[in-house]
Amino acid sequence: MNSYRYVLIAIALTIPIVQLHGQEAASVTLEGEPFIYTEWESFTTESTNGALVNDHIFYLEADGDSLWIGTEGGLILHHDGEWKSWTEEDGLPWNVIMGIEKDQKTGDLWLALFGEGVARFSGGLFEHFTQMNSGLINDVSFGIGIQGDNVWVASTAGISRYNQVSREWAVFNEKHAPMEEVWAYNVSANEDKVYFAVWGGGILEWDVETETWQDYLDPDREMEIDLYRDDGLIHVITTSASYVDNVLWASTYFGLSRYDGRNWRGYLDHDSGLPSTFINFAAGRSGTSVYNCTDKGMAVLVDYETDTWVTYQRDSEDAETWTAHVMVGGDVVRSVPVGLDLPNHFTIAAEFVGDDIWIGTGHGLARGVGNDFYEGLRR
Amino acid sequence: MNPKYLAVFLLAASLCVLPLDAMGQVEQTQTDTAAYGLTPEEYRPFSRFENPYKEFFLSLLEYPGYGRHIPEPDSVETVKIGFIGPIMKSVAESYGGPEEVPMRVNQRQVRWDGYGASHLAPLGIKMLQGAQLALEQANQRGGYRGQTPYQMVVMNDNGEWRSSGRAVIDLAYRDSVWAILGTVDGANSHILIRVALKAEVPVMNTADTDPTFVETNIPWVLRNITDDRMMCYLLADFAYKKLGLERVAALRAVNRYGRVNIDEFRDGSTRLGHPLVVELSYQEGDTDFSAQLERIKALDVDAVFTYGNSLESALILRQMRDMGMDQWFLGSDRMVTDELIEIVGPDHGRVVAGYPYDPTSEDPKHLQFVADFRHAFGEEPETYAAHAYDGMKMLIEATERAGLNRALIRDELVAMNPYHGVTGVQIFDAVLSDRSPATLAFLVDGRFEFFSREHVLSDEFEVAPPSNH
Repeated sequence: MNSYRYVLIAIALTIPIVQLHGQEAASVTLEGEPFIYTEWESFTTESTNGALVNDHIFYLEADGDSLWIGTEGGLILHHDGEWKSWTEEDGLPWNVIMGIEKDQKTGDLWLALFGEGVARFSGGLFEHFTQMNSGLINDVSFGIGIQGDNVWVASTAGISRYNQVSREWAVFNEKHAPMEEVWAYNVSANEDKVYFAVWGGGILEWDVETETWQDYLDPDREMEIDLYRDDGLIHVITTSASYVDNVLWASTYFGLSRYDGRNWRGYLDHDSGLPSTFINFAAGRSGTSVYNCTDKGMAVLVDYETDTWVTYQRDSEDAETWTAHVMVGGDVVRSVPVGLDLPNHFTIAAEFVGDDIWIGTGHGLARGVGNDFYEGLRR
Repeated sequence: MNPKYLAVFLLAASLCVLPLDAMGQVEQTQTDTAAYGLTPEEYRPFSRFENPYKEFFLSLLEYPGYGRHIPEPDSVETVKIGFIGPIMKSVAESYGGPEEVPMRVNQRQVRWDGYGASHLAPLGIKMLQGAQLALEQANQRGGYRGQTPYQMVVMNDNGEWRSSGRAVIDLAYRDSVWAILGTVDGANSHILIRVALKAEVPVMNTADTDPTFVETNIPWVLRNITDDRMMCYLLADFAYKKLGLERVAALRAVNRYGRVNIDEFRDGSTRLGHPLVVELSYQEGDTDFSAQLERIKALDVDAVFTYGNSLESALILRQMRDMGMDQWFLGSDRMVTDELIEIVGPDHGRVVAGYPYDPTSEDPKHLQFVADFRHAFGEEPETYAAHAYDGMKMLIEATERAGLNRALIRDELVAMNPYHGVTGVQIFDAVLSDRSPATLAFLVDGRFEFFSREHVLSDEFEVAPPSNH
């Protein structure tokens, strides 16, 4: 009989361990309901009878209730359900548009042209800036942003800055900034800071007040690993930066990083709602929510604190519509069919127009209708 | 069951259900796959201290995007394949493109036919010749599916980033090529693939041995040449394990090739317990290395390790020997040239370089290629020609199978694994880079001889004892 004391002791020791495991299981229950975009409109060149002149979408830029669309084949404006487009036949210097930024001060539209510098669209006319006629450091422009009077351009040979008042250009490369590599890939310009995603060079921060640079690199300094999840930027092959509510979201082709000025948080495909670590673009909606355009759908971190995600993707090649997977960390809690029928989920661009979300893919554009949208979780 | 055993079983079973991260260690997501780059355990970063939270480059790159459904064009006059490589420093458009410059020059001259040569022109011209030969042979067989000739659209990579980036955009959007082959320089290759990623064009790289080139997760890029990661591991194994060297100094080009491609040897030296004694650099075009060599000489090193182009490597070696420095001289494949042999002369001493394949292979495919190349150009092929030939053949074969669709051509390229070409059997890894074994090239009596890893690290392979400097 005494022998069974061992069993009782073992059971007593086992209970807290099983409870611990049970807590793991319990952690995948939702702490509140995230908003799910279930109502969608989708647009391709075919479905719009050519009004969307090209449906390989590279960039989206909100302009009040309207949306500017940069594509592989021209510039498009969507306004009140109508489409208007500009191509080289209309004076657009080059059809391939990688970035768009609306200057709220002047009303001008600035375009990053892939291989042809930048253009300013003002009063119905395009003004063309290239390496040959301006101080632009390179014509292969990947991104453009505006901070104050300055237009910042991310290009394949470094960063250019154009002051619209003084008309002076400045260039920044490895000689003027802490750039391990100079291949600027994207820019996020804000009142106080300008962030650059530099391919191979991590994230570069320009402090507007002090006019100084700060670089953020992967602390393990190795391309083939991420040594620790939260030690810093996940990888130096960065693709975009988004700065909102004093929080930096940095996307890479190896996952997502969040930095609040003190702590980093890393997200990979096995520990989060990211369906893939290949993130083309990340658009921060707040300091606790970010929309990630991956090669396998759009992953939305809805609530940072509870690690709640909604990931929109096509579950199979044959799927007629996309599915929203509600997740906590990397665990799916439930799946919800949504009315999005774009034929491919290789997402490239995202933009918020009011409560709506627009996403651009390699073959089509879609609008998620944000009726009754709310941020975070509804508890 | 004995109650004691039952108690032990219960405890063990309860522990087994614990997630690993609850026990204080991070989860390993992919531990059962071979290491990236075939990296030996001792060379893996932090392997003595920690398991990484995530290992990248172990899953085959996918392209899940659009494009495969785009129909083939009704008709094309030619099937265009882009080429970008270092041929000339600059060329006026009125003279035509680089493919129209006669390839009848002494490639070691820095100027010819009125054009300024790129400093990498000897490499780029061989690359162009290899690609041309493959394309011409395809056209002799009738061209694309026996009906349409292939056409190579040649762009010059003059080493300046502006023109290189623009050249790729022209290939992708203005010339509408189906695939691109190129280039040599690491920086320009990175620029090329970022453009290719956005434009969604397959790229075959046959000449850039920068390890980071493929460490970008771009699913449109393949590389069919063994990289400096693998060549550096072999050099480090040979230097430290075979020769027993302890004190190695590095003298490398200050450019990206010298800075980045040396990485794995530098890190490997440290991980084997022999960090480089010193790492000095020089500018491309320098001819006097006495200042750096005097410093290295004073450090009493066992060997000098260099990464740079052929000319500078040759001058460094010549000046070392003139200064009475008879240590081992180790370096990159770029110094395996006739130019180095000529400049250094017969008293070259102990010299070894990494090399991406065996150019003395008796494989019938290789022998046929050498004969064809001699017949076509009246000169010998080398690594850049041979790999470009293989790369262009792969592009053409993929196009034949896929049809005129970039995404499908990409898929067919990925499916060609392994590929038996004139440079041997190429084995592509998850990031689509060739991981076939590197070789070592020893300078013996005024000519380079090539040996496999197995041979040089075996007991049979005898080497002179390390210098007593």
